[in-house]
Amino acid sequence: MANYAIAGILGVFFGFSLNKAGLTKYSKIVGVFRFTDLAVLKFMMTALVVSMIGLYGLRGLGWIVFPTVPSTYIVGNVIGGLIFGIGMALTGY
Amino acid sequence: MKWLLNYLHKELWSPYIAGALLGVVGVLAVLLSNSLLGASGAFENIAGLIGKAVAPRVFDNMYFNFIMPPGITWGVILLVGVFFGGMLGAFSSGTFRWRLISDEKWSKVFGPQVWKRWLLAFLGAIVLEYGAGIAGGCTSGLAISGGMLLAPAAYLFIAGMFASGIVTALIVYRKGY
Repeated sequence: MANYAIAGILGVFFGFSLNKAGLTKYSKIVGVFRFTDLAVLKFMMTALVVSMIGLYGLRGLGWIVFPTVPSTYIVGNVIGGLIFGIGMALTGY
Repeated sequence: MKWLLNYLHKELWSPYIAGALLGVVGVLAVLLSNSLLGASGAFENIAGLIGKAVAPRVFDNMYFNFIMPPGITWGVILLVGVFFGGMLGAFSSGTFRWRLISDEKWSKVFGPQVWKRWLLAFLGAIVLEYGAGIAGGCTSGLAISGGMLLAPAAYLFIAGMFASGIVTALIVYRKGY
């Protein structure tokens, strides 16, 4: 139950940050594919760097154990990514 | 303090600050409940739940039994939170509206027809979710959550996503690119 409460609260912050970065807008998402607005890339890479530092730091301290890492199957990941990109550029979500 | 309040009411934050906030959320998700942020998986969980109730024979397969078991998972609750978080963001900047076409830019490029936007969004979303299903996650579940654990899958996915996204945008916009 506590786990669900955490999920809900983290979700609110997740949605809030997406909204404030403007990633809920069609023009922002498509902008990154047209090279007119790189907010998506800036947002993603900042999130990656911050969480990477946090996670590896906490693991170094022994506070956390990494959850199951998404599995790598090269062909599937690339093809999935290619299909995903088409959908993303069409919907803008 | 005043500055902080003003910033909260701003419609658009610097993507670096919003991204850093998401990064902290990503760390907290692992620290507090040993889970990874994700969005597309939750849709599959719900789809599985509905599918099992409506057509149990069709949904009795490997994918829905083992890879994406149906149910109200952590990710589903997270997604509910995302919905309200996005709403909260819109309320805080006073940009909350009910709209049939969410973006002015869309009507400028494709015309004002509502059905066109909804149809394209619906079809595109099917493609998007299908791709996410194959790859094992979406922008948040695989690219960001996998990337922060340095999973090679995430970077392959990002490369694929941008490659086809750029080509699709080129085709869709043609001269207006």
